[in-house]
Amino acid sequence: MTAALLIEDLVKAFGTGRPAVDGVSFDVPAGEIVVLLGPSGCGKTTTLRCVAGLEHPTGGRISIAGRAVSEPERGLLVSPRERDIGMVFQSYAVWPHMTVRQNVAYPLRHRRKASGDIDAKVKETLALVGLADFAERPATSLSGGQMQRVALARSLVYHPQLLLLDEPLSNLDAKLRIHLRDELRRILKQTGMTGLYVTHDQTEAVVLGDRIGVMRGGKLLQMAAPGEIYNRPADAFVANFTGASNVLRGTVLGRSGEIAMIDLGAAGRIEAWTPQLLAAGDSARVALRAENVRLGERGERNAFSGRVLERRYQGMQTVYDLDLGGQRLEALELGTAARHHADGEIALTLPPETCWAYRDEEHAAA
Amino acid sequence: MSRPAWEDFVTATQAAALPDSGETVRPTRGLAASLWVGALLLILTFLVAYPLLMLVFGALSDSNPVVDGFGAFRPSIAHFVEVLENENVRLAFFNALAACGGGTALAVVIGLFFSWIVVRTNTPFKGFIAGASMIPLFVPPLVAGVAWGILGSPKTGLLNTSLKWLGIDFRFDFYSMTGLIAVFGMYYAPYVYMFTASALRNMDPSLEEASEVSGASAFTTLFTVTFPLIAPAILAGTLLSFVVMLGIYGVPAALGAPANISVLTTYIFKLTAWSPPLYNTAAAVAILLMIVTAILVWAQQRVLSGRSFATVAGKAFRPRSLDLGGWRWFTFGLALVYLLIVVVLPTLALVVAAFRKFLFIKDFDALFDSRAYGLSHFNAVFDNPLTMLSIWNTLKVGVITALLGGALAFAIGYTVNRTHVRGRRAIDLLSTIPVAIPGLVVGVAYLWAWIGLPGGLYGTIWILALAFIARFMPDTVKALSTSFLQIHKELEEAAWICGRGVVSTIATVVLPLARPGVVASMTLLFVLAIRELGSSLFLYTSDTTVMAVLLLDYYEGGNTGKTAAFSLVQTLILAVLLGLTNWLSRGAAQGGSRVG
Repeated sequence: MTAALLIEDLVKAFGTGRPAVDGVSFDVPAGEIVVLLGPSGCGKTTTLRCVAGLEHPTGGRISIAGRAVSEPERGLLVSPRERDIGMVFQSYAVWPHMTVRQNVAYPLRHRRKASGDIDAKVKETLALVGLADFAERPATSLSGGQMQRVALARSLVYHPQLLLLDEPLSNLDAKLRIHLRDELRRILKQTGMTGLYVTHDQTEAVVLGDRIGVMRGGKLLQMAAPGEIYNRPADAFVANFTGASNVLRGTVLGRSGEIAMIDLGAAGRIEAWTPQLLAAGDSARVALRAENVRLGERGERNAFSGRVLERRYQGMQTVYDLDLGGQRLEALELGTAARHHADGEIALTLPPETCWAYRDEEHAAA
Repeated sequence: MSRPAWEDFVTATQAAALPDSGETVRPTRGLAASLWVGALLLILTFLVAYPLLMLVFGALSDSNPVVDGFGAFRPSIAHFVEVLENENVRLAFFNALAACGGGTALAVVIGLFFSWIVVRTNTPFKGFIAGASMIPLFVPPLVAGVAWGILGSPKTGLLNTSLKWLGIDFRFDFYSMTGLIAVFGMYYAPYVYMFTASALRNMDPSLEEASEVSGASAFTTLFTVTFPLIAPAILAGTLLSFVVMLGIYGVPAALGAPANISVLTTYIFKLTAWSPPLYNTAAAVAILLMIVTAILVWAQQRVLSGRSFATVAGKAFRPRSLDLGGWRWFTFGLALVYLLIVVVLPTLALVVAAFRKFLFIKDFDALFDSRAYGLSHFNAVFDNPLTMLSIWNTLKVGVITALLGGALAFAIGYTVNRTHVRGRRAIDLLSTIPVAIPGLVVGVAYLWAWIGLPGGLYGTIWILALAFIARFMPDTVKALSTSFLQIHKELEEAAWICGRGVVSTIATVVLPLARPGVVASMTLLFVLAIRELGSSLFLYTSDTTVMAVLLLDYYEGGNTGKTAAFSLVQTLILAVLLGLTNWLSRGAAQGGSRVG
């Protein structure tokens, strides 16, 4: 079966300088939702707009359902309206001079393939997004969440091959965002839609995506299932971006397979998983999540002794600032009761499978 | 969109949170405030309410204020009705509607097209096109009318001479309704442009992208999404350009009169120029013109205050520019053609007519015969003592208007925007009324108000200046209010806390900070005053003639050469003054920003 979307070596340069999208390749099989995740300016939105045809790529090839729609090397560029895609915009882009029904019916009226019963389709789609009773409302009378539902209905009503979503939830308030996020996944899965979704919010990415692609500086760093992104990040940036904010610096002593032994100096030695071919003597950074530090435990491997510098009680959790042989480490304890002292020595274990070692690029360069 | 509701909420809470400082904090100032408001109201009554009332009385009576005085005043609605039933009035009314309606339609097409080219396409030299297409705004209407008369008069027009030489059988006739519509449409397109260009610029581009992704073509998108979205801006620009055209005297005077086409403005003037002058009828027709204008201005304000849905709260957009491919040279060419027709051709026509000894050109080759050119018309113009007098008068009136009008607008703007004194609504209302009164009507009203009073203002240049101040009051106050809004209220409050009084705070905090706005408003007033024709027509005497009026004199005297020469002189003086004031106000703006 052909992939619903295939992107090969996509390049988009604006004028001179570093390209906004720099050699990105991935595919989205039919029925899957792929999320592009990254900080602002990483090229994720540009990639999406290239797929939509709203930006014109300067290199590479984009194919939708087996048909090449953009290949600048051959001078091929299919216009957005002939790509059979749907798109949901960050600003909703619901036309304020039309009613909800007119908005949703618009694509059916202006498509090449004239569809039979427009009214029935509009009704069905509005019911799907939970706006069955709002058809005659003017678009300006809707709330943000309702407008985004209209935008979704408008892009689903003609069953496009591919649905593109450009930070659709980022203009909504926090509570509504969570609600709509779960509902969005239900609707997409219910319709069997193939989706490409762009966001800077990692929780949104994990909940919605079958696979997540992390981007930075125009490059795709890792494309994998959420579990793998969270547990086996391919590099230090992915690890940090997905929440592994602790970094311990050290020197590689040796490596066997995917397990490396690293000397952290005064704190001692640490065993860590690594996706890279680290060699003895390399400078390394060990990344780990604050939630994965086991306080007060002395395990068989990676057991250390630290000192609590500060304890910050946050209600649902407690954060400890620790000193580990001269390096700072943050630990997080869940629950409403803080069980450890605010100062003094403390035993702690850093499970090897949650510690990830990467080459220390900054250090090596210096 | 939740923005308007949010804004309402904020204003409501602010209003609730901030006490009425003018009355509750400093109650001892009650008397001073009342005196101040009373003085402002008195000035505005004198400037606006009294002349208007006199105009209404005039329209409702058949007595002559000069001969009969006020004693013979017998109000009667019958007179007004009689005037409205007059066939000539009706003809002038429908001519005005046709000329302004047709002109507006053309202006909308041109303005919309240019705003789309400049904001939404990759047409080359867009900045140049945007700047150059505003030039018509600065051309005095009478000069435009005169130039097009020289170009397009049916017998001797330069265009027709060229056509004859080219062997083309077609002849232009700008002394016609079509000519009137064409010149109106071309010169008032910038009013539409200003509104539509900013609406297009502020429009969320994804609204159009959504349409394209939905399968609509670029053309369909333009007509089902883009234009409907900026419809309020198009309507506002349409109404404004219609209102402006309705009040213009110069263009119909130059192009309509030879063909005996009267519109309301030219008809009103004709009435006062008859012997004996029909002042009562003129007042009645002026009221008719004012009512039509007021309705349209009210409609325009309604459109503007309605929630414009083209914009989304506080977000800056990069406007989408459509790649036109090879067509972009076509759109560029159209822009050049527009500039050629509106700027280059009329200027050439004026130059040729001004420097040629005799305008009669028997064939195209004769156009380039250097012996036919000379400075005789300029000599004739400057030999006339009235010429220098009119220039001097114009400058005097301009300076008086700018200084007095600017100061008054500052006082009004501050009182309305920055204080909570009782009576500020009345001040606001009185100072806004003139927005709905065409200049010509202001002239008639001032004539009515002062001609009957012995030893009064009539016959001095002060009556011109006062009429201009009243006429441009709304524009000036509005321009100043914007700069008041940019000065945070707390800056003033901080000065009060420091122990300064209200006057001292204004002098040391508000005035320095608002200086760029004040200078800009005075500049605007000066420029508007020196080119104003409509209200001057009824108020000048031979001692107080101004440039615009003298130009009309030359034109009606029938000497095209002198008219063209004086048009050029006037245009040159305007351009120099415009450049000078612009330079001055820019300097002041920079000085002001250093203070801020």
